[in-house]
Formats: sequence, structure tokens, C-alpha cells
Amino acid sequence: MIARLHADARAIPILLALVGVCGIVASSNATFVQAATYAGIYAIAAIGLSLLLGSVNQISLGQAAFFGIGAYAVAYLTTSANWSYWPALVVGVVLAAFFGVVIGFIALRFHGHYLAMATLAFNLICVGIFHQWKLIGGAVGINNIPFAQLGPIRIAGTPAFWFAWIAAAIVALLSLRLLRGRMGYAFEAIRNDELAAEVTGVPTRRCKIVAFTYAGALAGLSGAMYVAVIGLMAPDIPGVGLTVDLLLMVVLGGMGSVSGAIIGACFIGFLSITGHSFDNWREVAYGVVVIAVVVAAPGGLFGLIRGRARTRATDGAPAPRIESAMAPLVLHSNELPLVVSGVTKRFGGLIAVDAVSFALEYGTLTSLIGPNGAGKTTLFNAMSGIGRVNSGTIRIAGTSVTGWAPHRIARLGVGRTFQNARLFDEMTVLENVVASVLALTRVNERAANDRARETLARLGLEHLSTTYAMHLPFGERRRVELARAIAADPWLLLVDEPAAGLNARERTTLQQDLLAIRGRGVTILLIEHDMKLVMSISDRVMVLQFGKMIADGTAGAIRNDPLVAAAYLGIAS
Amino acid sequence: MLLDVRDLRAGYGQLDVLHGVSVYVDLGELVAVLGPNGAGKSTLLRAVSQLGPAVRGGSIVFDGHDLLRTSTEQGVRYGCLHVAEGRQLFSELTVDDNLRLGAYATDHKTIERDLSSVYERFPEIARRRSAVAFSLSGGEQQMLAIGRALMAKPKLLMLDEPSTGLAPQVVAKIFSIIGDLCRAGTAVLLVEQNAYLALQHADRAYVLENGATALSGCAAELSADERIKAIYLGGATGE
Amino acid sequence: MLQLIVAGLTVGSGYALVALGLHIILRATRIINFAQGEFLIVGGLFALTFVEVLHVNVWIALLGSTACGFILGLVFERLILRPASRCSEIALTIVTIGALYILLYGHALVPLWGSSPHPLPAFSGEGADSFAFGGASIPYQSLWVFLLLALALAVMYAFFERTYFGKAIRAAANNPIGARLTGIDVTQTRAISVAISIALCAFGGTIIGPITLVGGAGGTAIAIKGFVGAIVGGFESPVGCVVGGLLVGIVEKLLEGKFEYGLADPLVYSLLLVTLLVRPQGLFASRVGVRD
Repeated sequence: MIARLHADARAIPILLALVGVCGIVASSNATFVQAATYAGIYAIAAIGLSLLLGSVNQISLGQAAFFGIGAYAVAYLTTSANWSYWPALVVGVVLAAFFGVVIGFIALRFHGHYLAMATLAFNLICVGIFHQWKLIGGAVGINNIPFAQLGPIRIAGTPAFWFAWIAAAIVALLSLRLLRGRMGYAFEAIRNDELAAEVTGVPTRRCKIVAFTYAGALAGLSGAMYVAVIGLMAPDIPGVGLTVDLLLMVVLGGMGSVSGAIIGACFIGFLSITGHSFDNWREVAYGVVVIAVVVAAPGGLFGLIRGRARTRATDGAPAPRIESAMAPLVLHSNELPLVVSGVTKRFGGLIAVDAVSFALEYGTLTSLIGPNGAGKTTLFNAMSGIGRVNSGTIRIAGTSVTGWAPHRIARLGVGRTFQNARLFDEMTVLENVVASVLALTRVNERAANDRARETLARLGLEHLSTTYAMHLPFGERRRVELARAIAADPWLLLVDEPAAGLNARERTTLQQDLLAIRGRGVTILLIEHDMKLVMSISDRVMVLQFGKMIADGTAGAIRNDPLVAAAYLGIAS
Repeated sequence: MLLDVRDLRAGYGQLDVLHGVSVYVDLGELVAVLGPNGAGKSTLLRAVSQLGPAVRGGSIVFDGHDLLRTSTEQGVRYGCLHVAEGRQLFSELTVDDNLRLGAYATDHKTIERDLSSVYERFPEIARRRSAVAFSLSGGEQQMLAIGRALMAKPKLLMLDEPSTGLAPQVVAKIFSIIGDLCRAGTAVLLVEQNAYLALQHADRAYVLENGATALSGCAAELSADERIKAIYLGGATGE
Repeated sequence: MLQLIVAGLTVGSGYALVALGLHIILRATRIINFAQGEFLIVGGLFALTFVEVLHVNVWIALLGSTACGFILGLVFERLILRPASRCSEIALTIVTIGALYILLYGHALVPLWGSSPHPLPAFSGEGADSFAFGGASIPYQSLWVFLLLALALAVMYAFFERTYFGKAIRAAANNPIGARLTGIDVTQTRAISVAISIALCAFGGTIIGPITLVGGAGGTAIAIKGFVGAIVGGFESPVGCVVGGLLVGIVEKLLEGKFEYGLADPLVYSLLLVTLLVRPQGLFASRVGVRD
């Protein structure tokens, strides 16, 4: 399980127990019971939004609309259609989830502010439709919704409190379970670095849609429970005000945590019973608190309670590298690992890569060098599916990958590192590697953990397992990224400037690592500026200048090539 | 001494790029900083103009002012101008506006005279004075960037790879302009990948390798030094 | 028809100024300010205060409210936007929603302002005075709104296109690093940009005030229609923002005339969603100028 969730997992039972105790102690206080019931109902929607905001970094200003959809479905079915409550509840949740899928697809096209705006528009449109649609009561809404009946118990008053909080508890535990598994690792990776997640095999688009669907379903459930407890539904209930309230609960409580959403819902629920005579003051205070929390304590109330994440867990001595563990890789295909033909990539008028063609042999280490701006990284991006090429084809082990998303290419067996070492900063070293193994293979979490540990051990990084990536020194970041790239046994590895920023000792280690990886039969393509490193380990060197391949040969031949010397040093007079 | 950088250690976040670099520029000198990609050349200039890198040790003194205690804007007012990587033009504004804004940090009394002297020096951009900077060719953009810096009446001009992405004839032209500027009394600190070209024009040069000074000396001596080739192409450096 | 168009252009003038204000803040700070509409409301209330408490004439109230808007903008930038500037885009969105809450509920706490709308005296004659034109009855105030909107736009144009400091502000928004390298204090230009944006809103709230009333809880709706205008016209283009804002006003009034009252708003918002999906850069902005 992701370390960030440990505190969450511990806090949830405590919080729920606390709510339960309060419920028993204060069961005679009608005001308390009512406020706490709504807090529980809102907590369900808030948990969904918290995952959306905090786990996949997607904002939604339309959660109230899903709430409204769930609520109206139940309101209509239990009154006009005379359904009983429970099947109506299911229909409400499914309907809300369906709209979640739709909005999820729309959301793929937007980021940040624009996504906020698009979801806000969705919310407003829904409110408008609720107002106009005569079938569901138009501006008046639907009254006299019957209380839900569970066997002999009528769900109102104290039973409603238990109904709300048992549902909230189930949702909380379910959400935690979701976050603990494969999906949780994928979400966490997306939250940290979407591009790196995609390249390490996480289908980021699908994950976002799942998150929107889940959040939509939970908001729908929340609405479906709300109408049964309050007994009426009006078109302005699921307005922007509710959306903002849900957002406040999540931000106040702490984005991305289940407990935070519960705390936030309780906090705002209780403000609403104590603050009746100070309506406007209370809202102003909301505003101030929200700004203060976002600026000063981005982790919210839960973040404050939990304290800061453990900074640097263990700093044990580096373990010796386990060389013998490297079993040779079994080749699956007799096609060449990589064939690039005539690839051209333009940015506006600039031709970054100009009709480049080459092929790599299995088990070789080839370096791609050239001055800044020669198009090396652009070519790498084309090979790993980031951005479309203008013409040409790329075949990996005989499969044309033109137009493929990066995670599909990664799943073919292509590992990659980035110039600036894109780790998942708020995950530990081990989690970084596990996330990739889980995304790229079908193994379960335990096996993925074993595999990740083994990979780290191979590179002598095991002592850093529990360190958060953001606390790593730069040289270690690069090596952890390399570990993440090779953990699922790729047979083609693209390494972008691994030596930049490393000291002499780290460079030697890197050299050993790369040679050991090649020794297993992995084909390596390396972008590097450190010529000593390039010349000493490459089987072959290719030189790119102004997007064109100007030389291709052995290290010795390249070093004495006058064209290469000119590209690098200028022409001697 | 106009610019005196001593034992500078700097980097970004946890990445250390410069491990103790010392560089100085005297009045009217053209000094080149050479070295392969990733050696720390641009970081050196950015540290001088306080544009990003965290300085962890050493000192930067310009014309008697401690630049580590000032802002980028204040450095400009002292006369330390940086034509940065990517040229950093105001792409949506006209050539004329770009140049006029170059004088932002100075008093504006002589702005018209300075403008006409820049246009005289760069007839290519004078012809396009009402064009939007975005529409200029690479060479014209580089000239505009240098021209904008000249509007601030610099004592020192720091140029970051002015030859990047330009055709050889344009590069030759830019370098001859840089030579002219220097003869007219502006000191120049030039970061360049194209080592031999830079050495042809420079008085002195430093060669950086992995964030430290590997070689330094007068340009004529260095251009004959085989060790430069080794640093760039990865041969033995004679250690 | 003409009547509806004039009414649309009148409210659209408010949207246009909100949209233009959003554009200015977005360019300078990369923030989309969800509280923008509230500043329009508060601007109208400033004018109300000048008229009711200080008993000055409405023109001085207009100047006063614009000036107060400018100062409020400086405070808003310093106390809220600047501390939050290092946050993520999502966090920034939430921060401006927090500001919206403070303004929306805060203004209701001021004794004179309260939470319900107030009438503001018209700029000439009585508020309801109007004249017949082409079969429609057009309020004189609408003419003042168009005239003053044109004046505000002309002043903005002159400032940003003709003055040295205005160009420096544009330069800083265009390329902050380049601006620092030429000695422009980007922190200062950002603050001024926000202040100008808020001053525009205060101005807008005052000129449409005699028709729409000032105060109340309508700010969010105005902000959202300002967004719709900005998105439809093109967030990166100031002209697009103004035209988009006016267009939204017209469409809204025409729809209100054609359909039932409540159907107009959802249709206007659908316009936003459709534009976002089909032409995210807006109708009047070219792809070239759009970043990211």
C-alpha cells in the first residue's frame, strides 16, 4: 500500500468510531442528529470529489449536478412511478455514473481552469434543465417523497443518521480499498506526474474516466440518499452553491484523502448548525479559511493532524549490488527491436527531426549524440508515443506503433527515462518502481513488491526503498528512474542524458549499470553529452545535427569524423 | 575589474551544476565561456543575472555592486545585460516597442537617439520596425535581442549562444557585430558551443567541463590547444 | 427585436467588461479569477455609497467607484493572489472561489449595502426615461452605457497600445523573463494589471447599475457569463473578450424573449460547453497566439 495512505487507513476507523459514539451519546438531540445525518450524506460525495481532485488532479465544479441527477431519479421514481426506494437508488447511482463517464470523456480534452469552467457549465445546464423539465416538477420540484423503508424500520430521524453513516463507512472503506490496489498506484502516479505515469505504462486517460465515473456515482448516491431523508427535491438544491460546499469540504479536509473528506464534511455540517444567526459572517469565514488553507496548509485539516510525511526514513549503508541476479532476457521475436524509417517532426516552421532512419540490433548499446537542439529528445518522444510525427514510421519488434499512446508502447516492452529524471516525487522509491511493475504486468501487488525490491537490489538501491523520491539527491534520482524503467523487464530501453549532473563516481556506477543491463540482452538507445562515457561504452554512435543524421558508426570512427568535429567545435580556421 | 565571479557554486533544486567557477571580465574585453553541453555555461550567466539558479557559495561582484544581494532588474540598472537563451523577446510586440522597452531601466531622455543608433547598427531590423517580433527570422530575432539590450546602455553584455539555430552566414554577421560592440567599449561575456568561432573573436576564454573550469587563457593560445578537442569529443584529456 | 438587442447590449456591456478584466488578469498572472463578477457588484455599491452617503453627483461617483476598484484590486492582488501564486492551477481556482465568498457575503454585512439590490440614479433624467426608436423604447441610460463602454475601451486601448508603461505591462505579460531582463519590475506590473482589471469591473458595475440595480447576489451569474463571453470570443484576445461579452448579452436577451425566462441561461451555458469543445481558442483568436 502507498505510504501516504497509511495515516488515512488508520484514521478512517477512528473517525467512524468517533461519529458512532457521538451518534449514540447525542441521539436525543434532534438538531445534532439532523446535522450529522447530512454530514454523512455529504461525506459520500466529498470522498468521490476528494479522489478526483487529490488522486488524479482533476478539478470538477459540477459535482452538484451528479448529486441532482441521483436525487431526481429517486424523487421521480418513488413518487410518480411508485417504485420502492432501493431499486430507485440503484437507478440514480447508475445514471449519475453514466454522466460521470460522459463528463470524464469531455474532461480528457481540458486541463485546469478550462476543465473547471466546462464542469461548471455542466452544473449550470443541469440546474437549468431541472428548472424547466415539467416531468420532474419544474421550478417547484418534487414534494412528498416517501421515507425509505428497510424491513420494519422507517429511515428517518435516528435511523437516518445510521443509514447515512453506515453508507459513508462502506464508501470510505471501499474507496480506501480502491486506492490501496493497482488503481491506487496508477492514480498516485498520475497525480505526481501524468507524463511519467503514461510512459511507465499507466493508461492515464482510462484512469481519469474511472475517477470521474466513481466521483459521479458517489455524488449520485449522496443525492439519492439526501432526497429520501429530506422528503423533497427542488431544482436549486444541486446548484453551484452545493458544488462549492463540496469543494470546500474537500479542500478544508485535505485533498486526496478519504479521512480528509469525512473531516471536511463534518466540519461544514457542524458549522451549518452553529452558524444560523451569523449566515453571512460564516460564509465570509469560509472564504478566508479556504484561502488560508490552500496557501498555508495545502494538506488541509487532515494534513495538519497527520503532520508532515516522514522526511527521510532510513539512510542505511548502500547494500552491495547483486550482479548474479540478472538472468538473461528471453527474446520473443526475431524482428529487429527498433526500426525508424523516414521520421519527420515539425514544430511550426521548424523541422526538429528531418527524415531520420535507422535500425537497432538486439543487445546493442547505441548512443545518439549531437549539439543542443539537434532533435534528439524529440526523436525519443516520437519513439515513446509523446506527440505525433508528421511523417515516417516507427516499428518496435515488428509492430508499427505510429499513433499509439505512450502506455501501450511501454507495454510492448519499452522502458524510458527522462532528461530531468521524472520520478513520482511524493511516492517512496519502492512505490515508484512498484507503480510501474503493476501498470506493465499482471502480477499482484505482493509479487510486484518482490520484483521491485529485486530490481532495486540489483542496482544497489535497496537501502533507499522507503525514502520519498523528493528527498533523493540528484544522482540517486537518475538511478531510481533507471530502476523504474527496467523493473518490468523491457527489451528496449531509451535513456535520455543519464549522466548530466552526476559526479565522476556516479558516472562510473552508471556506466556499470548500463553495461549490466545490456549484458542481459536489453537493447539500449542512449542520448548523452558526456563523450567519455559515450565513447567508452557504445557499440555504435549516431550523430544528429539540425534534425538530420550526419554520421553513424563506431566510437572511433565518429571521434575522427571531420563533420562531427565541425558540428561540435565549429570549423577551425 | 567589471565582473568578478569567484568560486561560484550554484544549481537547481538538488542538482549542483557549478562546483566552484571563477571568471572575470575587464572593461572592454570579449571573454568567451566554452564547453560541451551540460557543462554549466548558461547556469553561470543565469546566476550572474539572478535568473533561477540557487547560489550556494562564492561571490558575484559587478562594477562594485554585490549582485547576489540584488534583483535581476537592479542588475540591469547597473548595466549588466543578459541576452538569454531563447532570446526572450516580447513576441507579440513590434520591433520598435521591443527596442524602446529595452530602455525601461534607464532614463528615457536619449531614447530616440539610442533607437536610431541601434537601427543604424542593424539595418535588417530597421526595415521591419513595425513588424511583430514573432514574425522575424532567427537572425533578425537575435539582432533584435542584442539591440534591445543595447538600449539599456550596458557596461557588460552577456550573450548566451547567439549562434544557436542560425545559418553560418548569419552567425558570421552576428559575431562581427559582437566584435564591433566590443571595440566600441562594451565588455562582452559570450557563452558559445561553437568553440573555434568564439575563439577567433575573443580576447580570453574559459573552458568549462562538468561545472568546473578545465582550461582558461588567452584565446590565441587556447585555439591551438588539442585538449579542447578532447573535452568536446571525449578523447583523453591528458590527465 | 431591436428592443431586445439594445437590452442585450446593455447587460452585455457588463459582461464585456468582466470578460476584458478576466483577460487582463489571465494574461498577467495566468489566473482565472472566479470572483470577477463580485467586483462588478461591489463597484456598483461603491457608487451607491458615493451617491447616498456623500451626496455627490453620479459622475463623481463613477470616478470614485473606479478609483476604489483600483485600490481594491491592489489589495486583492497583494493579500490573495500573490501569496497563492505558487500554488497549482486547481488551488488557484479554489482560492479565487474563496475570494468570491468573501466578497459575496462580505458586502451583505456592510450596513448600507445589505444583501438585496438597490436602485442607482440614472446618469441623466429619471431612471426609466426612454425614447422611441424604430418601434422600440430605448432607455437613455443604455445610450450612456454604450458611450461609456466605448470610452473605457478607448482609454484601455490608448493605455496599452500607446503609452510606454502600458506597453511594459503587455511586455511583462507576454514574456516575464524577458521583461525582468530589460529591468521591468514584473511584480509591480502584475499588481497594476490586476488593479486595472478590477477598476474596469467597478466602472462597469456603476454604468449598468441604473438599469440592473446594484448589489445583491447576481455576481456569480455575471462572472460566469463573463467567462462565456471570454471563451466564446477567445480568452487570449481582448477584442474577442469584449465582442464575446456583448454577444452573450444579446443572445441571452433574445433567448429570454423567445423562450420562457428560465430557459435562456442553460442555453447560454451550453454555448460555453459547445465552444469549449469545438473551438477552444474562441471565435476571434487565432491558434497562433494561443499558448500551452
